[in-house]
Amino acid sequence: MIPEFEYAAYVWSSYAIFAVVIAWQAAVPVLRRRRTMAELREEYALRAGNYSYARDDNASRITSGDRR
Amino acid sequence: MSSHTKTSAIHKFKVGFHRLGSPSNFYRLCNRLAPWFWVGFVVTATIGLYQALYVVPPDYQQSDSYRILFVHVPSAWQALAGYAIMAVLAAIALIWRIRTTEILAMACAPVGAAFTFICLATGAIWGKPMWGTWWVWDARLTSMLVLLFIYLGIMGLYAAFEDRRKGARVACILVLVGVVNIPIIQFSVEWWTTLHQGSTINLFGESTMDPSMMPPLIWMTIAVKLMFTAVIMQRASLDLIDQDRRKRWVADMIGGTREKTSENNAGTTIGDEK
Repeated sequence: MIPEFEYAAYVWSSYAIFAVVIAWQAAVPVLRRRRTMAELREEYALRAGNYSYARDDNASRITSGDRR
Repeated sequence: MSSHTKTSAIHKFKVGFHRLGSPSNFYRLCNRLAPWFWVGFVVTATIGLYQALYVVPPDYQQSDSYRILFVHVPSAWQALAGYAIMAVLAAIALIWRIRTTEILAMACAPVGAAFTFICLATGAIWGKPMWGTWWVWDARLTSMLVLLFIYLGIMGLYAAFEDRRKGARVACILVLVGVVNIPIIQFSVEWWTTLHQGSTINLFGESTMDPSMMPPLIWMTIAVKLMFTAVIMQRASLDLIDQDRRKRWVADMIGGTREKTSENNAGTTIGDEK
């Protein structure tokens, strides 16, 4: 199934670099979107007074009155 | 077509174009189109890779090592085309101060850098068995390395400013300065004696490459173009939302506020509206 090439190591390593870089380029926006959306939801929830939505560490700090 | 219909069509196009300047419209458009470009990339890359690895015969001189060309050449072309697109967007951004083009120009840099890196890395891997060396300081290779540094410089400059718009404008100037490197890369194999071979594929003339080897190259070229478009759309929409995180349209999109607002106050900052 996998073709046997002369200079196979060179050919496959080139295609591997291509695949890894493309995968990286695909993954970065997805991860960044997830992080940004989580930050925004938390920010808007806090602004709306919905402290239970905030991350645990922030929520416990805010509800205990510690507003550092 | 009557002149009235034509005028109406032009008017509609103009209105549609200007609407793209609206952050919320631009964001929605990017998010709707990007997945389709990804689908296109997957389809064309699958066809291209299948042909490159299974269909085309080995080269009579280079044997199978020439198959590296099917990822190396499209990446090199995209690195150059990406820079040209970025330069046009940067010029528009500097002249007309359109924020979405500023953001799009800045989104081109990391993707262009990625393709330049692929081009340099796969070129070095091909060079070892064919030239007997990973790297030589010839004009084509060196100018391509300079292109990678320019891309990285643009990304660094953009990220260095806390005010993203100011950062984008300064980086756009660097983009325009860096344009001088593009003809140097393109014509380096003609202007200087280089170890890198001259053009083997001519769009408007006779190519020295066998026609049987062309289909995978064409498919892979289309694939990387679709991928480039998809990624810049995704990156641009994220940059936009990051810059506008305190704007009303972002709040509406997240669903963090209960009030529904019209398109007209999409630029309103939360807390400012009375």
